[in-house]
Amino acid sequence: MERGSVVKVSVNWIKEYLDFELPPTDELVACIGAQIGAVEAVIDLGAQYKDVLIARVVSCEKLADSDHLNVCWIDDGGKASNVERNDQGLVQVVCGAPNVRAGILVAWLPPGTTVPSSFGKDPFVLEARSLRGTLSNGMLASPKELAIGDGHEGIMEIDAGEPGADFAKTYKLDDVIIDVENKMFTHRPDCFGELGVAREVAAVLGQQFTSPDWYKNPSKELPLSADRLPLVIKNELPELVPRFMAVAISGLKVQPSPIWLQTLLSRVGIRPINNIVDVTNYMMMLTGQPLHAYDYDKVRALDGTDTATLIARNPRDSERLTLLNGKTIDPRKEAIMIATETTPVGLGGVMGGAETEVTDATVAIILECATFDMYSIRRTSMAHGLFSDAVTRFNKGQSPLQNEAVLLKAAQELLAGGTAQLASDVLDSTSLPSETLQRGSLHPPMSIETAFINARLGFLLSGSEMATVLANAEFTVESHDDWLQVSAPFWRTDIELREDIVEEVGRLHGFDKLPLQLPLRSVAPATTNYLFNFKTAIRNQLSRGGANEVLTYSFVHGKLLDNVGQNKDLAFKLNNALSPELQYYRLSLVPSLLNKVHANVKSGYDEFALFELGKVHSLDYIDSDADGLPQEFEKLAFVYAANDKLKKSGAAYHMAKYYLESLASHFGLALRFEPITTMPDSSFVKPFDPERCAAVSDVASGEPLGIVGEFSAAVRKNLKLPVFSAGFELDIEALFGIAGSKGYRTLSKFPATEQDICFRIPNILSYGELQQAVFSDLSVIKPPNSLLQISPLDIYQRQDDTDHKQITFRLRLTSYERTLTDKEVSNLVEQLAASLAQKFDVAQV
Amino acid sequence: MFMLSVYVISLYGNCFLCIKLKGLLYYSSDMSYQNTLIDQTAELLKNRLQELSVKQDIFKAVELRALYDQLRILPPEEKASFGQEVNALRQELTALVQATQVDAASLPPIDVTAPFASNTAVADRPHLLPTELGSVHPLMTEIATIVDIFGRMGFAAVESRQIDDDHHMFNTLNFPEGHPARDDFDTFTTEQTDKNGKSLIAPAHTSIMQHRILKAGKAQLEAGTPIASVMPGRVFRNEDLDATHEHTFYQLEGVYVSTGVNAGMLMATLQTFLNSYFGQELKTKTQPFYFPFTEPSFEFAIERPAVLRKDDSEEQQWLELVGCGMIHPNVLRHAGIDPEVYTGFAWGFGIERLVLMKYGIEDIRHFESAKLDFLRQFS
Repeated sequence: MERGSVVKVSVNWIKEYLDFELPPTDELVACIGAQIGAVEAVIDLGAQYKDVLIARVVSCEKLADSDHLNVCWIDDGGKASNVERNDQGLVQVVCGAPNVRAGILVAWLPPGTTVPSSFGKDPFVLEARSLRGTLSNGMLASPKELAIGDGHEGIMEIDAGEPGADFAKTYKLDDVIIDVENKMFTHRPDCFGELGVAREVAAVLGQQFTSPDWYKNPSKELPLSADRLPLVIKNELPELVPRFMAVAISGLKVQPSPIWLQTLLSRVGIRPINNIVDVTNYMMMLTGQPLHAYDYDKVRALDGTDTATLIARNPRDSERLTLLNGKTIDPRKEAIMIATETTPVGLGGVMGGAETEVTDATVAIILECATFDMYSIRRTSMAHGLFSDAVTRFNKGQSPLQNEAVLLKAAQELLAGGTAQLASDVLDSTSLPSETLQRGSLHPPMSIETAFINARLGFLLSGSEMATVLANAEFTVESHDDWLQVSAPFWRTDIELREDIVEEVGRLHGFDKLPLQLPLRSVAPATTNYLFNFKTAIRNQLSRGGANEVLTYSFVHGKLLDNVGQNKDLAFKLNNALSPELQYYRLSLVPSLLNKVHANVKSGYDEFALFELGKVHSLDYIDSDADGLPQEFEKLAFVYAANDKLKKSGAAYHMAKYYLESLASHFGLALRFEPITTMPDSSFVKPFDPERCAAVSDVASGEPLGIVGEFSAAVRKNLKLPVFSAGFELDIEALFGIAGSKGYRTLSKFPATEQDICFRIPNILSYGELQQAVFSDLSVIKPPNSLLQISPLDIYQRQDDTDHKQITFRLRLTSYERTLTDKEVSNLVEQLAASLAQKFDVAQV
Repeated sequence: MFMLSVYVISLYGNCFLCIKLKGLLYYSSDMSYQNTLIDQTAELLKNRLQELSVKQDIFKAVELRALYDQLRILPPEEKASFGQEVNALRQELTALVQATQVDAASLPPIDVTAPFASNTAVADRPHLLPTELGSVHPLMTEIATIVDIFGRMGFAAVESRQIDDDHHMFNTLNFPEGHPARDDFDTFTTEQTDKNGKSLIAPAHTSIMQHRILKAGKAQLEAGTPIASVMPGRVFRNEDLDATHEHTFYQLEGVYVSTGVNAGMLMATLQTFLNSYFGQELKTKTQPFYFPFTEPSFEFAIERPAVLRKDDSEEQQWLELVGCGMIHPNVLRHAGIDPEVYTGFAWGFGIERLVLMKYGIEDIRHFESAKLDFLRQFS
């Protein structure tokens, strides 16, 4: 949800809380990156505003022939160069804003200036140009053009500085914004505020940070109105709302905030709205603690009584709420609602309700500063798809010990220089243990040995060095000989274990100072993973045979499963697939390979072989592994394909079989291929053509290994396969269990004798049966201590006799004792023919 | 076939000669179109049709589309005749395409024990393709290389799972239920559930192996042998594909636990590995980070070789490669290992980034594309 999100750090803002000179920007950025969090971007805001000047409108007159344009003469203190001036040194600008008038201060964009709102995107550079025949030197800017707010009804009326002043300097827009990845702050809610970041910056630069007084000692001296506004808060959810504070404020006038505040918010990416909402946002951006302002009169009116009441509770049956964003929700039943006695007015910690929104007519508010359970906020936010700046902060778990400071400071800002006053007591409902409140720290002080810290970091720091780095970040530390007593400040939620102190010391001291030293080890070799090595051997062997290893996704389209005749109901199905193409865990690997054949043929590859090693899963084995988890099967799949335009004779089956046998022989295995009379109901056999595939097993052990064959007509059609394609799928672990090495045979000192022999046999007799009989018969009668090898030379079928075929073998006999004569071999062949003739309808040709 | 020919003939008169030869259809056509442009296009497309492996693609021809574009801008009086002829051409092409569709008919049974089929030409007898065409997938090659380096450093390899439970993905790694850090992983879950009724998970990191390795290594650890393992494996994240993001990728997790292990050792181990892998001394830097299962946590970045930088920005200079840290005491405790006695470190990094960088591969999607154009470059 928040991936790629950042905390925007305003260098000018944090400077307000630092009493030392910051290093140059690049050093500061490097330091933040190394010790606070990864820096995503550094934005030079000053460049965006560098030419904007403050000017006074000296005269303003309607432009003839225009219903809305005015001709203004402005005073920029003579600052801008290269503009035409009149004899008083004033500059002429045409302006169509309804609020332009003589006497006001404005933000002037002289000719040559890039309009700030277009900066960096599609830069719009102003020039001196004629409007209805009257020269306009640049323009007077609206908040929108200044990229400070949405306001575009009129120009921005400046409330500080004098003609000729640099607009950016006046409002601290000569700023550098450092975007820090906020993932690092998952456990650091305090760093979602500029104050927290300022403290970290001081500490990593080795400087003592001191929080402002209002933060550590909240002022209770705010003027209280004589006309009290009755306010009651109730907390029905003490577990989920550990702190619920509120105060009523009256005598308010809703208007735009002073420009320093508007520009401050805009610097850190917040849109200014009005003086009340802006103050709540200001405090949130400063401290990480969100606030919410309700219109007091609207809240009170909902109950029709004299008292305004806010209650933290769960939603009632069929209760609905319309939020500030206009969306109406049926809140999840565990959500934290803020409600009056009768009516919900907010989804606590997530978003306020529309009905009690602060508007231009508001004169009194209830200011709420609460702490909500992070897990509850996260679930509610996810359940309703609501993401706000408040959610981002609350779901990190804000400290419930800073509410009072934040609430009172916010009130103070609202009261500043105006007619507003507090209209109620500061109400505080908390479920925090009294010792936590008294201690002013979420966890009790910790004792930690300096050796514990050094051992985990590899440092050799003294207790006092550790105490200093911690104290710089406002930890309270008592330093003893070889141990420290550490108490975390009230805003720190993450200091629970001694390891958390280790992290703090390491980070603030500098991880770049870690001593790089490898662990010492014994010379005993690491355990070998033989299965891993076996898979590497398979890869090497198949690639030596010209095949290409591919990797395809573990997730497949339901349609692919359908296309190869597999049963989707056996496949694990994703709840949140990216697309239907990736919805199911695959049941076997061959379909994934078949899915890649057509595209490669189309790319111009006429003959190729693909293979993949991977895991497959099936609901049939959902809990069959040792941990009761789904069993994972390691498979090897192979597919050979030749474009039909190559017009290959024979059958692709034999290509796949050949690859398989050459692989098996590398591991010293002889394989048996048996026709499959009844196809088993297993997913991995589904793509294969029952008439043109074989079950594969190991001859020596009988271990079943998998299947080899061509693909059924439907599969070929569905996946646009060439007719001449075939493949296999094997169980790697079964193969691994029996694999050995090819082995070595002693060389004979005597030459081999070869002879070819051809048999005519009925078609129904398989090659394998004949070959087996030839081999076993010859083995019995061959000379002692000799080696017999038989290889196929030809298989021939006459066009006029399709009931028979002729098979020619080449016999090769090698004795380890003597040279065999041709005559001897011919005799053996005669005996063989005779014995075969007794078993089968076989004739030597 | 006959029916089709009749149909065609009745449409176009005596313009087709249909010969059935060896089961394939060849056409010669003397059909001519009045309009020269259409006639030329027809000739061109019919020739091209013979070359196409997917005959349907003829309808995507730009030349055909151009005829329709032309039709749109013609003056009304020419529209009718031109339109008729374009339609006639389209119908002719349709007939040609249909006629070439080879029926995916079932093939006769074969002798599965034979080394080759009867009467197979010697050239077509089974053989292996030339070695120079073959290739091992670059990711697998690199994983083997990485495992080898760590093997020499004393780390045993254990491969990771591809479907797992919430327990190993989050609980044993010190992610409390409902913790927002869980959101950072964009985890795929399945409709099917584990024995506790929680969705099974497509692992989003190889850290799912940490608890297993720690549990399995506890006894040897207590007998004095450190736990030192690397766990390569395939992981999944629910994120959209682009040139630098894949939803399916490979990671390598590492775990080292012993007595007296410190964070400096972690940095030294990673740096030693990376220098060995890239065959040069690389500049590295560490950034603090947050993971619930390590404390402290770091992100380890290496300096990207200048040739692989898009610009001079800080972002381009460094490649954040490894998430790592000292194993959180709760994670050790979960596996029954006493964090007062033993400390350790863990890391995880993506394989693809290393390989993209090593070879200068421009698009991560090539890895799982199964394109021979890509794969055969690694022959």
